[in-house]
Amino acid sequence: MNRADKIGYGVSGALHAGVILWAVVGGSWFQPKPSEPTVISQVAVMSEQDFNTMMASAPKDAPQPKPDQQAPTAPATPDATTPPETPAPDAQATSEPTPKALPDPAPQPDTQPDVSALTEPPAPTDVAEAPPVMAPPVEVPSETLAPVISPRPKPKDVPRVAPEAAPAPPPEAKVSEQAEPQETPDAEAKPDQVVEKPKEAAAPPEATTEIVTEATKTDDKPESSAPLSSPRPANKPKPPAPAPAKTETAAAKPAAPTAPARTDNSAVNDALAAALGGEGTGGNGQAAVGPPITAGEKDALIVDVKQCWNVGALSSDALRTTVTLSVNMRPDGHPDIGSIKLVGSSGGTGAAVDQAFEAGKRAIVRCGADGFPLPADKYERWKTIEIDFNPDKMRMK
Amino acid sequence: MMRFVLAMLVALFAGSFGALAQDQEPLHITITDGVIEPLPFAIAGFIPETPDAADVAAQLTQVVSSDLSGTGLFREIPKSAYIQNIAKFDTPVNYSDWQAINAQALVVGSVAMSGGKVVVKFRLFDVFSGQQMGEGQQLAASPGSWRRLAHKVSDVIYSRITGEGPYFDSRVVFVSESGPKNARQKRLAVMDYDGANVTYLTDASTIVLAPRFSRDGTRVLYTTFETGFPRIKMLDVATASARLLPDVPGTMTFAPRFSPDGKKVVYSLEQNGNTDLWMMDIASGQTQRLTTSPSIETSPSFSPDGSRIVFESDRSGTQQLYIMSTGGGDATRISFGDGRYSTPVWSPRGDMIAFTKQNSGRFHIGVMRTDGSEERLLTSSFLDEGPTWSPNGRVIMFTRETPGAQGEAALYSVDISGRNLKKVPTPGPASDPAWSPLLP
Repeated sequence: MNRADKIGYGVSGALHAGVILWAVVGGSWFQPKPSEPTVISQVAVMSEQDFNTMMASAPKDAPQPKPDQQAPTAPATPDATTPPETPAPDAQATSEPTPKALPDPAPQPDTQPDVSALTEPPAPTDVAEAPPVMAPPVEVPSETLAPVISPRPKPKDVPRVAPEAAPAPPPEAKVSEQAEPQETPDAEAKPDQVVEKPKEAAAPPEATTEIVTEATKTDDKPESSAPLSSPRPANKPKPPAPAPAKTETAAAKPAAPTAPARTDNSAVNDALAAALGGEGTGGNGQAAVGPPITAGEKDALIVDVKQCWNVGALSSDALRTTVTLSVNMRPDGHPDIGSIKLVGSSGGTGAAVDQAFEAGKRAIVRCGADGFPLPADKYERWKTIEIDFNPDKMRMK
Repeated sequence: MMRFVLAMLVALFAGSFGALAQDQEPLHITITDGVIEPLPFAIAGFIPETPDAADVAAQLTQVVSSDLSGTGLFREIPKSAYIQNIAKFDTPVNYSDWQAINAQALVVGSVAMSGGKVVVKFRLFDVFSGQQMGEGQQLAASPGSWRRLAHKVSDVIYSRITGEGPYFDSRVVFVSESGPKNARQKRLAVMDYDGANVTYLTDASTIVLAPRFSRDGTRVLYTTFETGFPRIKMLDVATASARLLPDVPGTMTFAPRFSPDGKKVVYSLEQNGNTDLWMMDIASGQTQRLTTSPSIETSPSFSPDGSRIVFESDRSGTQQLYIMSTGGGDATRISFGDGRYSTPVWSPRGDMIAFTKQNSGRFHIGVMRTDGSEERLLTSSFLDEGPTWSPNGRVIMFTRETPGAQGEAALYSVDISGRNLKKVPTPGPASDPAWSPLLP
């Protein structure tokens, strides 16, 4: 009997066994649920004559429900013609203004009717002691939130006539009868004075108002390292199936000359190594290294580094070069200066990369002298930092 | 089977443990904004090692400081702030003392008189990295050339820190002006890039215009009116001797410029009211007409490799910039902005073209890519014109003239970033600067 026949017999036997098993125990396990009993209502058939007789004996007008019986329904929308009833102020509230009635009356003027005609408006200087004319909140539909003009407070009485006379205005300037010679800056200004004018001699104002790149730069919004969207939570760990399967496969083929049988220890080691060397599929690791660095913490680091990244002395070639520096951090937030290294660059070669690297290194060293603002409890997250120094926005074009 | 079950259990436990044990990915941030400010540096002084070198040492220190600070890229920290006193050239640098005053670069040097020469030694240190930048250097020159020696030292420091090519040890030829505006006298003069050591090359007997250095800096082409009409003259800088280049009678020649190899001259020739570009072989005098347009073509300038020429032409109705092959032929217009473009000059690095632009009643010095893209105006004034590039292509010098009857021309320089616009000191009014190559 060959292997295919064995498989065939095996499958056939399994299927038959399954059918027999279902026939024996399936009847009790898979009994259909009894359907709910049907409710049967007894009805009687009425002839048309009986119906007409019944209708003729019915009263003409049905009694209308009383108005107070409609109260439980939604209150009518108050409008200008039919203002809703305002409940009378509570006697206790009138005598004792409570903090609950005075604070933030903002939503209440919209919901209460205009009571200015019925009550005296409070004095503007004595708001705290004003009587609580505010009615309790009235449940009204949202469409009644139209602004209602609050009563204008009366202004304080002030003396309309000043107690002292105002000083006399200065006399008007007289027009000179003799015309003064008009100044001609071009003719009288000395050359040195002209060129020494800050507007003429200062480079940045002239340059910045005309250079297109700088004008464009002003339109740029400051870049933030904050993520555009919140990160998705880590996936549920997957069972590390591949490693045991590989071990099982290897163990199941002892005859293979290139795959000698492994001991228990080697199989375990394989599984352990596979798990340790995985790409984090076995867990998110947050328990040991703390929560991830937040966008705010990243931004704080960026702000701290960029204020020391001086590109003013870089060559135009170096300003076209992006370098990536790696630095190992100490737990106290200080960089390990000796660990700063170049891990990548783009846009430049040779001397330009060196210059860009030196400028980046200088930034890390200078601003790292006082330690970077990094959360100590997340040290595992930032014990190594890679920084891209990208002068795209700084370079001269 | 037992092994399988055991491995499964181990994997299940190790799966979560493994992620904890593995190394975290580095925290990655990107810095796109920095600061643009002069880099603070300190010169611990060029220490005189011999008694007779004290004066030179002091002067040399002052020139080096002026060179570096004058770029606008560096700021010298005053000596009163220094903590460490370096009394000898070999004194070890205490970096923390220099870090404390935020010095990012430190120069330590010495000067000695030896064998009738000034000998300068210097080292450059990166303070925050705590290491020396490059190797120390030693230069020697005659006492009369101590300024060039100082410029050489500055060039080394500047290049090591910025990565740019040097340019301090260079000269500028220009037209020195004097007298009232309606009777202005003009003569050729040459000076150090910083305005020192002015030497006059011609007298004031005739008007001269638009001098241009040869690539090796030994000769100067300029336009003279000594015959009553503009003609091109070539002057030997060392001997101040000059000769007129051959021309065709009844024509005017002007706006000359050397080819990069110095063997040819491209210039404008006006004949019968039409101005075109011509090329002349200096040795043989043979000429070649490059353009045949009925419009005015002038202000030609070679690309550094000598393969192309940029020039101005009004063939489109207004002055615009065009590029064509050195052999002539079709030209490609590269300027398309508002206003008129003139006096284009190709950068020594070959990547940009400086020009004069007139628009809305103002003159500007600007730069653009050789394809006309990325045009940027660096200055704006009543009258700015005639840009010339520094040998490293980082700085542009030009003429700025003030308005009015008593307005004067002066030389200004500006970094190609648009920063550090400043007046170049000259003995009097000056115009038409042309920067020499770096001196040997």
